[in-house]
Amino acid sequence: MNELIHPYLIEEEPYYRATDNEVELFEAAMARSLPMILKGPTGCGKTRFVEYMAWRLKKPLVTLACNEDMTASDLVGRYLLDADGTVWHDGPLTLAARYGAICYLDEVVEARQDTSVIIHPLTDDRRILPLDKRGEIVRAHPDFRLVVSYNPGYQSAVKDLKQSTRQRFGAMDFRYPATDIETDIVAHESGVSRDVASKLIGIAQKSRALCGRGLEEGISTRMAIHAGGLIAEGIGAHAACRLAMTSPVTDDEDMQRALDGFVEAYFGPEVS
Amino acid sequence: MIGAQGHAGNLSGREVRREADGGVIAGIQSEGLRLAGRFLDDGDADTAAQLSFDPEARHAGFAIRRNELQYYLAGFGQAEIAVKSQTSEALDQLAQRLAISDSQLLFPNNYLTIDGSERGDIYRAAAAHALAHLIFSPRHRPVGNRKPLLIVVMSLIEDARVERLMVQRYPGFRDLWGRFHVATRADSGIFFGALAARLARALHDPEYADGNHWVSKGRQLFEAEANRLEDVAAFDRIAKILANDLGQMRMPFDPAEYRVEPAYRDDNTVLWDFSEDRPSSDDQEIRACEAVKFEPDHADAETVMDTSLVSAEERPCTRYGEWDYRIESLREDWTTVVDIAGTDSDACSRGAITKAERRRSRLRGAAQVPDRAIRLGRLHEGDDLDLNAAVDSVIQRRSNVHPDPRIFQRHGRRRRAAAVLMLMDLSESTNDFFPGSFTPILDVEKQAATLVAESLDLAHDRIALHGFASNGRQEVSYVHIKDFDEPFGARQKDYLQAQTGRLSTRIGVALRHAVACLVPEPADRKVILLLTDGEPSDIDVSDKRYLVEDARQAVLSAALQGVRIFCLTLDRHADPYVRRIFGTRNYQIVESADAFVGKIGRTLVGYLAR
Repeated sequence: MNELIHPYLIEEEPYYRATDNEVELFEAAMARSLPMILKGPTGCGKTRFVEYMAWRLKKPLVTLACNEDMTASDLVGRYLLDADGTVWHDGPLTLAARYGAICYLDEVVEARQDTSVIIHPLTDDRRILPLDKRGEIVRAHPDFRLVVSYNPGYQSAVKDLKQSTRQRFGAMDFRYPATDIETDIVAHESGVSRDVASKLIGIAQKSRALCGRGLEEGISTRMAIHAGGLIAEGIGAHAACRLAMTSPVTDDEDMQRALDGFVEAYFGPEVS
Repeated sequence: MIGAQGHAGNLSGREVRREADGGVIAGIQSEGLRLAGRFLDDGDADTAAQLSFDPEARHAGFAIRRNELQYYLAGFGQAEIAVKSQTSEALDQLAQRLAISDSQLLFPNNYLTIDGSERGDIYRAAAAHALAHLIFSPRHRPVGNRKPLLIVVMSLIEDARVERLMVQRYPGFRDLWGRFHVATRADSGIFFGALAARLARALHDPEYADGNHWVSKGRQLFEAEANRLEDVAAFDRIAKILANDLGQMRMPFDPAEYRVEPAYRDDNTVLWDFSEDRPSSDDQEIRACEAVKFEPDHADAETVMDTSLVSAEERPCTRYGEWDYRIESLREDWTTVVDIAGTDSDACSRGAITKAERRRSRLRGAAQVPDRAIRLGRLHEGDDLDLNAAVDSVIQRRSNVHPDPRIFQRHGRRRRAAAVLMLMDLSESTNDFFPGSFTPILDVEKQAATLVAESLDLAHDRIALHGFASNGRQEVSYVHIKDFDEPFGARQKDYLQAQTGRLSTRIGVALRHAVACLVPEPADRKVILLLTDGEPSDIDVSDKRYLVEDARQAVLSAALQGVRIFCLTLDRHADPYVRRIFGTRNYQIVESADAFVGKIGRTLVGYLAR
């Protein structure tokens, strides 16, 4: 393995609890070099899943969080200046394609559509990446894989994948895991007891019922893990839930108090 | 008498009261002592009584808690239950308890200090108790020939049973309710109400010790069955034994002096059905629906025509297709939209926009949305290096050419122009009062429309106000209250105020026509903001799904033409269909009138920025 790509290898097994047959499906898709779209609400485990699969497949993982400002050069690379003149610097996509890694584009819909089309030649049977500034054509390493993710909740007419992009991919839907599994995940990741974890999940599920009624999105598994971590550190349950779960998701006072009510339903009234 | 306010809902306060007059609850509730009533005996009665109310209103008033309680119920999956207040008509009125019906919770406007309002969050405790009943209790059991005392004891045992079940699921409620269980032997006498409160406490709190034989017997019997709480009949038997004991103890029971303790508990009317001849709740719901549904007849159709400024023959008609999901295809030219022009717009009314109006607060934030897609490159100064320019500059220097110093870039802040078409639902149901207020829904829509029309930044954005109502597929009236090219002057405002709610809601075809009006606009972003109060319906369609699927098709085809549609709905029951029609994040269900007008601005700014 090239020394440039080696640091991207994941050494330790990341914790991932499968909820269905997603591991099997993803492995089959990767075996066929099929690029994948992972869809799902924020904090439901998409990124963790990719890390876990990279570890499992023993491939390096190059992650890039996309944003509106991202240009094609941020993906493929650019000339930089040094003392002697200009030097070419590979971008993350080129790096992954050249040396064989999984390139993971997080929140890909945030990137502008004209930026995301540069992945097209890499994602069909050509598997090439033309670097027009350099006059080079990078032929993708046999180990190169492309995975993108986004949150369909944020979809709108302006931010959406082009059909021509979508149709090159396979896709998997992620949801918040079933109650038991989600409880296991929170208990494992945060170190709280299963009992406390199930309370945190109960609160999160109550908030998810308010989605579209004043909350844009409910409390995610990730937030429940943060709250659990704080409780494990010795912070009071009410304070931990407010800090990590209820306060970040809303600015509306009525909503905030209703969320506090859910906390109270599981942990009792706060002792003042 | 419970002072429930009966202007809406299936089991209205008036009906509860009617039951009360004829039934047991009349006795139970008719004469409870109210703290404030005692002040009336004093010399300067009113001021003292008033003073005793004020601090309580500040701490525990219902009005400031309403939205929160509505969210709270929704979180527990009871979003369709409306939260309302009971009006208290007089200071010496009896103590109020929460009243539950199948469609609403009627909270007291204030809980008093004597009820324990300062010991904890009594509104939340009451809502949690109501949830316990809604989730676990059998409702509307016929009273039959049961005596008042038995009814009261059965209700007490039922309260304890459902609370026990609720605590198994949500352990936090134990302490929440526990704060209000304070009855002891010391501070209450030996009369039924006191014993009942002590039994309630004994069943709630295992730590509480009570020497009374009846209370301990009740606890013993209850705990014996406590591992099979789902068995309602077993607990009825317990209640019968306890009521029987009371009878043998010759315990005086005056329903008039009794009220449920602790105060967070409800009056338990939801558990019982007091009259034999009362129609079942299903019938009532049907009647409630019928009251809303408008059956058009010929005379009404004519009045619609009268409101338009042009005669029927001259009215421009446009035909649109309609999607039939059963055959999965578009029925061509199936519906007819009748355009009703707004006021005559003449050039001089353009001057009607006074300076004062122009200065009116713009939608805050709209102007500051930077358009990050715009990059201004090759600048003398900026936020980032424009790398291409920088590289060129260095190459020029190395080639001994004078280098170009413009090597920075920044984002532009020029906004894209937007065209907003507000489409108002003018159907019959908009004449109804907004849940929890006395404002008709149509008035709320008008306020919201006025706010948006006056506060959009006219230098960038264009706005039109249209409305629609349908009378079968052949006549969908489409009212142009204000078109894009008109000012929002006095005439347009008058015309807006003159709109009344009539006929039905055929959303799909109205959206198609709105899209047709919006598409020629030269704006970058084209948005239709739909204000509605209910799901699509029309007199010639019985299959509910048909119009929903048609509206969904209309939204999808609008997206293909670059028009985005956002729906603000006042229908609390909108979940099943709005998401289907408009897609995730393209709708908002608003629960209160204030929130509606307040939210619309923020929603629009957010939506335009997306």
